[in-house]
Amino acid sequence: MAISTVDIAVARRPSLRARISELLDREEWLGPIFVSPALVLLLLLVAYPFCMALYFSVSNAFIGRPSHLIGLRNFINLWQSDAFRQTFQNAFVFCGAAVAAKLVLGISLALLLDQQLWFKRLIRGAVLLPWVIPTALSTLGWWWMFNSLYSVVNWTGLALGIMDPPGPNWLGQKYYAMAAVIIVNIWRGLPFFAITILAGLVAIPKELYEAAEADGAGPVARFWYVTLPLLKGVLAIVVLFSTIFTFSEFNIVFVLTHGGPINSTHLFATLARQVGLETGRIGEGAAISLYLFPVLMIVVWAQLRFVRKQAY
Amino acid sequence: MASITRRRFLTTTTGAGLAGIFAAGIAPARGQQREISYLCWNNFAPLMDKKLDEIAVRFTKDTGIKIKIDHIAAPQQAAKYASEVQSQSGHDLVEMRMHFPWLYEGQLVDVSDIVGELEKKYGKALSSAGETARVRGTWRAVPQYHGMFVAAYREDLFKKASLKIPDTWEDLYVAGKELKKMGHPVGIPISQNYDTISTAGPVLWSFGGLEVDKDGKTVKINSEQTAQMVEWYKKMFRDCMEPEVLSWDDASNNQSLQQGKAGWIHNPVSAYIVAKQMKLPTADTINHHKTPGGPKGRHETDVPRHIGIWRFSKNIAPAKEFIRYLLGTRERYDEYIMSADAFNLPVYENLQNHPVLKTDPKYAALLDTKGVQYHCYGWPAPPSDKVQLITNSFIMPNMIAKAVTGTSTKDSLAWAENEMKKVMAG
Repeated sequence: MAISTVDIAVARRPSLRARISELLDREEWLGPIFVSPALVLLLLLVAYPFCMALYFSVSNAFIGRPSHLIGLRNFINLWQSDAFRQTFQNAFVFCGAAVAAKLVLGISLALLLDQQLWFKRLIRGAVLLPWVIPTALSTLGWWWMFNSLYSVVNWTGLALGIMDPPGPNWLGQKYYAMAAVIIVNIWRGLPFFAITILAGLVAIPKELYEAAEADGAGPVARFWYVTLPLLKGVLAIVVLFSTIFTFSEFNIVFVLTHGGPINSTHLFATLARQVGLETGRIGEGAAISLYLFPVLMIVVWAQLRFVRKQAY
Repeated sequence: MASITRRRFLTTTTGAGLAGIFAAGIAPARGQQREISYLCWNNFAPLMDKKLDEIAVRFTKDTGIKIKIDHIAAPQQAAKYASEVQSQSGHDLVEMRMHFPWLYEGQLVDVSDIVGELEKKYGKALSSAGETARVRGTWRAVPQYHGMFVAAYREDLFKKASLKIPDTWEDLYVAGKELKKMGHPVGIPISQNYDTISTAGPVLWSFGGLEVDKDGKTVKINSEQTAQMVEWYKKMFRDCMEPEVLSWDDASNNQSLQQGKAGWIHNPVSAYIVAKQMKLPTADTINHHKTPGGPKGRHETDVPRHIGIWRFSKNIAPAKEFIRYLLGTRERYDEYIMSADAFNLPVYENLQNHPVLKTDPKYAALLDTKGVQYHCYGWPAPPSDKVQLITNSFIMPNMIAKAVTGTSTKDSLAWAENEMKKVMAG
């Protein structure tokens, strides 16, 4: 009897490495894998604190004590507080003045930086300095400059004869104090505006300016009919970000004035800290910090809609 | 003998190690070395911080317990403590001032045993310390020292203008007018800081006013006596001070006196101590006198400071050991107190005539306590979290600031009353 051998093809399982490699080639796996670290970070660092803040704002939470839900009572009670009403007003004055000034000055600075300047790169780098230095540190410098005893601003003003002795009480009088915090915020935020707008300016095709010039357009007309319309998208994004950052400003006010004099420079963040942490009423503090959330949501939605319209 | 590969060795030992850690529930390093941490303020007498660090090194050497000491600025303490309590994590020991033990009552370990031992050695804790650290009969923090406010003045200027040392707040107004004319105004802060409250309290009390009544519930700020106090502030602000006081922080009055501008301030002796240590020209010209009085007596602010232990601490026993080490031996406690150069004084009755007060004749005012009533913020209301909230919300400083910047006295008082009532109701 003849015996024949039959080769049995054994289906070998692919190695682990091969299986991982195959899995990573599939988009439906690779995408979520790449996104998940960012998602976890967002959930941990943004979503969780936000949800906690929402819970606190509708509770009577007090540091280290049991709390229970009280609905919207915190939000309603805040209107009875003189300090809160003052803060509400301060926030709009501060944000309106600072963002408007940063927008105008930012466009001007960007136009200047777009020119053929000597040491162009050095100057562009230097402009970013206020943005790069930690705010608390740079604001300490400003605090020193505005300090009633050592004010270099007043010393210079008096030496030049443009101020009457003893000079303005920058941090002790409400209008001067508000002016001081706005000035420092403009100084700090201007580079963000200037550099972002500059990026927008560089992207505008030169042919458009040449065509406008050929049609007899002067510098003002070129700015108005070419530059500004093409910058609208960039400006909308910059203003959107700046509005959010400025409304939630903390460092500058905390270091310069601590919210004083008589609460005249308190913003939502600084008042929330005072009420929520220094006096322990976390529920009320969370309500203060979330008070403008619905308004800001609408602003963000409107501006993003505007940007999308510009893009398509 | 069977050989073992490097990989197998690592796998086995790591596995066994991790199993041990999970079974014990404690990391090996912590199991071997006890370590505690202490969060305290940036002392206005910096040499005391240095001494504390020195003592901590000796503590580790003597007991084998490591201690890490962190310092933060006084205005940030409340927020930092709140975040530690809320997250139930942070330091083991915390330095507490004023009524903080009342605010965090449920979060602090009972330290009555340590206070009992200290009181046996040094006598009873001062009443201000007891009022603030003994919460409903239980010591929630151990009193360690207290800082008394006095009047600090430029002796040379007073002599030059033949000014009388102020015995009352009205006398200060008379002297202050002359000082301002000489270019050396009175420096009493009127801003959102604790020094403002430390001066406003004694002035208010000496006119017979109060914030909250003895029952701890009834707001009494809107009174004829408070109106008198506010009127006094108004004329002081107008005739004796400069508007800069509206922007001052806790250090500004010290700096103004040290730099030669202010002629009179109300402060603990720290302004003089720092001037002396930094060898400033003003050091020789600064002296102190008893705090001024008013129609209803002579009152002064006393700020006791304590050490507490968070209940969430996993190192309560070693933390208690550190407190005993720092305060429980007379020699070491003396050494600690001496380092503050009379800025921070012992807080126990038998140590009141402490040698530190005799190290400099300019500390005589601190010994001259006859007729002075010492209180903590909020007196005569019993200490409570509500009183601490009124303090931390800077209602009284803002009431005065409003009045001196144009709001009528009546409206300022009504505003303060409304704000305080909201705190009491909350």
